[in-house]
Amino acid sequence: MASSGPHVQAKFFTKQPQFAVSEDVFSVPATVTTLELNDLINGLLNSSDGDGESSRREFDFLVEGEFLRLPLNSHMQGKGLTAERVVSIEFLLRQPAPEPRTAIQQEDWISSVQGNRDCILSGSYDSTVQVWTRAGQNLVSATGHTEPVKAVAWVKQEAIGGQFLSASQDQLIVLWDWDRDGGTAVPRLCCRGHARSVDCLAIHPTADRFASGSWDKMVKLWSLGEAEEDEEEERPRGKKKAKHDQLGPTRTPLMTLQGHGEAVTSVAWINDVTLCSASWDHTIRTWDVEAGVPKETLTGSKAFHAVAYSNLSHLLASGSSDRHVRLWDLRSQKGVLVESTLTAHQGWVSAVAWSPTNQHHLVSASYDKTLKLWDTRSPRAPLYNMSGHREKLLCADWSIPDLLICGGAEKQLCTFSYSDLLTSMPDRQQGN
Amino acid sequence: MASKRKVGEAKLEKEELDLFVDAPPDDDDDEDEEDGDTSDSEESVYSGLEEEPSSSEEEQEEDDDSSDNGDDGTEETPDIPGPTTDDTTGSAGTSSMERLDNRPQPDEYEFDSSDEEDIRNTVGNIPMEWYNDYPHIGYNLDGKKIMKPAKGDELDEFLNKMDNPDYWRTVKDKTTGEDVKLTDEELDIIQQIQKGKYPEKAYNPYEPYIDFFTHEKMIHPVTNRPRDKRSFIPSLVEKEKVSKLVHAIKMGWIKPRKARDDEPKYYDIWENDNQYSPDKRYQTHIPAPKLKLPGHEESYNPPPEYLPSEEEILAWNQADPEDRRQAFLSRKYDALRKVPAYAGFVKERFERCLDLYLCPRQRKMRANVTAEDLIPKLPKPRDLQPFPTTLSVVYEGHTDVVRCISVEPTGQWLVSGSDDEMLRFWEVATGRCRKVLQLGGRVRSVAWCPNTAVCLVAAVVDSTVIIINPSLGDKLVYHSTDNLLNTYEAPESLETKLPVEWSAAEGRDYDMGIRLRISHPKIIRQVTWHGKGDYFAVVMPDGGSMSVLIHQLTKRRSQNPFRKSKGLVQCVLFHPIRPFLFVATQRYVRVYNLLKQELTKKLMANCKWVSSMAVHPGGDNLIIGSYDSRLSWFDMDLSTKPYQTLRHHKRALRQVCYHKKYPLFASASDDGTVVISHGMVYSDLLQNPLIVPVKILRGHKVTQNLGALDCQFHPTQPWIFSSGADTTVRLYT
Repeated sequence: MASSGPHVQAKFFTKQPQFAVSEDVFSVPATVTTLELNDLINGLLNSSDGDGESSRREFDFLVEGEFLRLPLNSHMQGKGLTAERVVSIEFLLRQPAPEPRTAIQQEDWISSVQGNRDCILSGSYDSTVQVWTRAGQNLVSATGHTEPVKAVAWVKQEAIGGQFLSASQDQLIVLWDWDRDGGTAVPRLCCRGHARSVDCLAIHPTADRFASGSWDKMVKLWSLGEAEEDEEEERPRGKKKAKHDQLGPTRTPLMTLQGHGEAVTSVAWINDVTLCSASWDHTIRTWDVEAGVPKETLTGSKAFHAVAYSNLSHLLASGSSDRHVRLWDLRSQKGVLVESTLTAHQGWVSAVAWSPTNQHHLVSASYDKTLKLWDTRSPRAPLYNMSGHREKLLCADWSIPDLLICGGAEKQLCTFSYSDLLTSMPDRQQGN
Repeated sequence: MASKRKVGEAKLEKEELDLFVDAPPDDDDDEDEEDGDTSDSEESVYSGLEEEPSSSEEEQEEDDDSSDNGDDGTEETPDIPGPTTDDTTGSAGTSSMERLDNRPQPDEYEFDSSDEEDIRNTVGNIPMEWYNDYPHIGYNLDGKKIMKPAKGDELDEFLNKMDNPDYWRTVKDKTTGEDVKLTDEELDIIQQIQKGKYPEKAYNPYEPYIDFFTHEKMIHPVTNRPRDKRSFIPSLVEKEKVSKLVHAIKMGWIKPRKARDDEPKYYDIWENDNQYSPDKRYQTHIPAPKLKLPGHEESYNPPPEYLPSEEEILAWNQADPEDRRQAFLSRKYDALRKVPAYAGFVKERFERCLDLYLCPRQRKMRANVTAEDLIPKLPKPRDLQPFPTTLSVVYEGHTDVVRCISVEPTGQWLVSGSDDEMLRFWEVATGRCRKVLQLGGRVRSVAWCPNTAVCLVAAVVDSTVIIINPSLGDKLVYHSTDNLLNTYEAPESLETKLPVEWSAAEGRDYDMGIRLRISHPKIIRQVTWHGKGDYFAVVMPDGGSMSVLIHQLTKRRSQNPFRKSKGLVQCVLFHPIRPFLFVATQRYVRVYNLLKQELTKKLMANCKWVSSMAVHPGGDNLIIGSYDSRLSWFDMDLSTKPYQTLRHHKRALRQVCYHKKYPLFASASDDGTVVISHGMVYSDLLQNPLIVPVKILRGHKVTQNLGALDCQFHPTQPWIFSSGADTTVRLYT
């Protein structure tokens, strides 16, 4: 570490107990980078182990809550830190790169995906909804929609099958009963009410309701429970009875939330009673679904394409047509709601998804043909770029904790494995 | 009190002194009494009755006072011969004698007058050499000679010199001829004078100066006299004067004194230089045109190369005098004296005079204006956000030039027509082609019906307008559109003079979405909808008097609004609000009122060939693109000439368009670029539109000399679609 130039007093600590080092203060060159710090930490760990085991591990370093990507002094300058005081540097095992798993070729563009346990649900522009295993085996293909499917969502999944929803440009939302063994999907309910293409779905956390957003500027709330008989009896009559029967009994919306000035492109539940919706009218609105009234309006400068909420970090991530992923803090009482802006994409951000297990990680898909894994502590550069796609990406999902799924105009459902260190770490300790 | 008393005394003494001088020495008491009275009366002016001698005790006191005065150095000399005063005059007498004592000559009173004080001889002040030869000097009262003192001889003189110790201080008085021995005091005076000092030794010129009226504030007054009563009483006289002044000021008779300006008064001796003066003519003197200096050819003995050859002489003689290069022929002479008189001399002088006389004497004024000052100040594009800046989505699928695009009124769908005879419907957000229609001919123009209650697209293929229901968007809407079209029942008496045929599509065409075909006699260039969505107009440039036709969809009726053509119609447009129709011919745009059926306005396009036209959603502004790469903005309230002309493209403009919501307009050109400009129209009639070019969007490749062929704004977002010859449609956001 001997080098000329200014030095900085640094103290290292970690929240991962197996890598604990002494709290000595080190003097490191001001221009030190992650690479040299890795050497230092590895040297410390190896010397303290003393068992001759020289396994090198890669660490990342957090200074003032942000990942060290530049040389230390420029990072500190950006943070407004002085070199006079001792810098506390947290280090943690570097997130391993997601590895591509399977690429499931489909017939047409994939507009939406959602994973659940060991299955992946995908909606396609060829009007079908399909269920795949993680390995890429097609379990079922549900046909019934007459126009491209724009959104899909799992309602529940069991060993023998499950239920899922699909929304399409034919203005319908269909609840399907999926029988795994039989390999069939039967429409159970047909939700009518939207006037134009239904673009997004969000299942209520208790799975008894769901919300949908449509191009007709409406957000509608639907019930998933068993319908009352009288409602069903009312509807099927006249000439269209046969057609209705194809997609099951008709369901009408519980509630319509009106307020957006343009198409609603994405909906997400924040908690049991709060829904949030993003629209092309440059706003994200939150709604109180108990009272059916709008609560808050977050105004951006460009049309929003995607929104996602994380229960772990309590942040709202939005993807918009100005190439940025913005994180909004709904709880903050300050005027500025944008917590931070993640900038690296070159095109529209079409989808964002939070990690279900790690509060810092999210994934974003963009029309620039890349999927990016972000850590909120590193807003200027993503952790990993998953490029190599030949066409723009339309959807991304992270419902299965260890699987990133994305799909798009290249007609391939791509999955990437993700190993969360927070969850995998205890396993390793147990194994040891 | 004591000081007052003294002043009174001094006055008294003076009176008495005069008395002594004038009066004979033996005065009687009466006179004295009189004087005392007068003195008393005089004194009463100053000190009242106090000075009146009332008792002997007071007299005694005054005596003491006078003896005190003797300290000043004066001595009392009682033995002076003169009149003695009696006791009644008392103190006054004594004080007068003190004064007399100071006189240099005590026997002054031997003489009657004081002007003969220096009486040493009787001859007076005459030159004494007159008496040199006489033994006497003058005569006494008896007429006897006054003899000079005996003058000893040399020996006596010498003896005197030897014997007399005071000889050195003895001088001869010329006036009397007597020897005078100088006293010590006189010697001192002489010595002082010789030394150049003050004659009197005791005189000190540098006595300390007692500054009574000093600037320093003294604690005691100079005089201890108490203040008069009148100093406490306001003066009536002053009051009167002040009131007079106040009155004068009130009446304006007295004005405050003007403040003296202490500034030195200079004057500018060049002050009048800027005004006209005869000298100025000389300052801006323009010199007379100069004559050419004589060269070698004018020499009487020029170098041989200047001498003309035979041919040159011949050519010179044959040429017109105006065409000759020089007015003379160079010739060689042996000597200067052989040079003859110059024949053209008078003529040349005359011409020179004419030159001087007729020469225009004018100074060219060059204006110094920097180019930056001429450019109006425009806001920065950064402050005019939002406007499209980056390419976001590319709609790929066509295989030939994409001629025309149109956006669905809600902005979800886009339709594009191409030379590959395809009509493609795209999902705006994803770039997904949702529908393809094979139309069997080049699609020249396409327009989505602006009415959101119906779902129809009008497309132009060669000489046919095809009305298509794309079945996109709201199911209810496109089903009701079909119902609307199906409910049409042909009127029984269909009288039409126009060679236009309406036909409903059937079979496979109907399944594809084609609903109506309207066939025309000539190639159609453009189709455009009225804002209500029922009427649409088509342009047949070769149609002659039928170049513009207006069709009504619900009644399937066509009409020809113009009886004869006014030129080659390029495009037409409906006014967004009012019943006006804009018809652009090659160089003019005519605005017709469709209700009154009259020409309302004729706009001079100021360009060679109009290619496209767009009207502002407000309806009062119009832009025109032309093939000579200009874009002209018309403010129709302002003038029939362009308000502004923009030349940002290098090649012909193909399409211009306005945004419906944002203050934006755009132009697509054959150079492959789309220029976005900010065009703010103010509702305030006094404010002219603000036009700022903000962005050049490049992306389309130029193929077959065609670049961007069409551009349309998204109806709700600040986005623009452009189609090009490179078979793509692009979305910039």
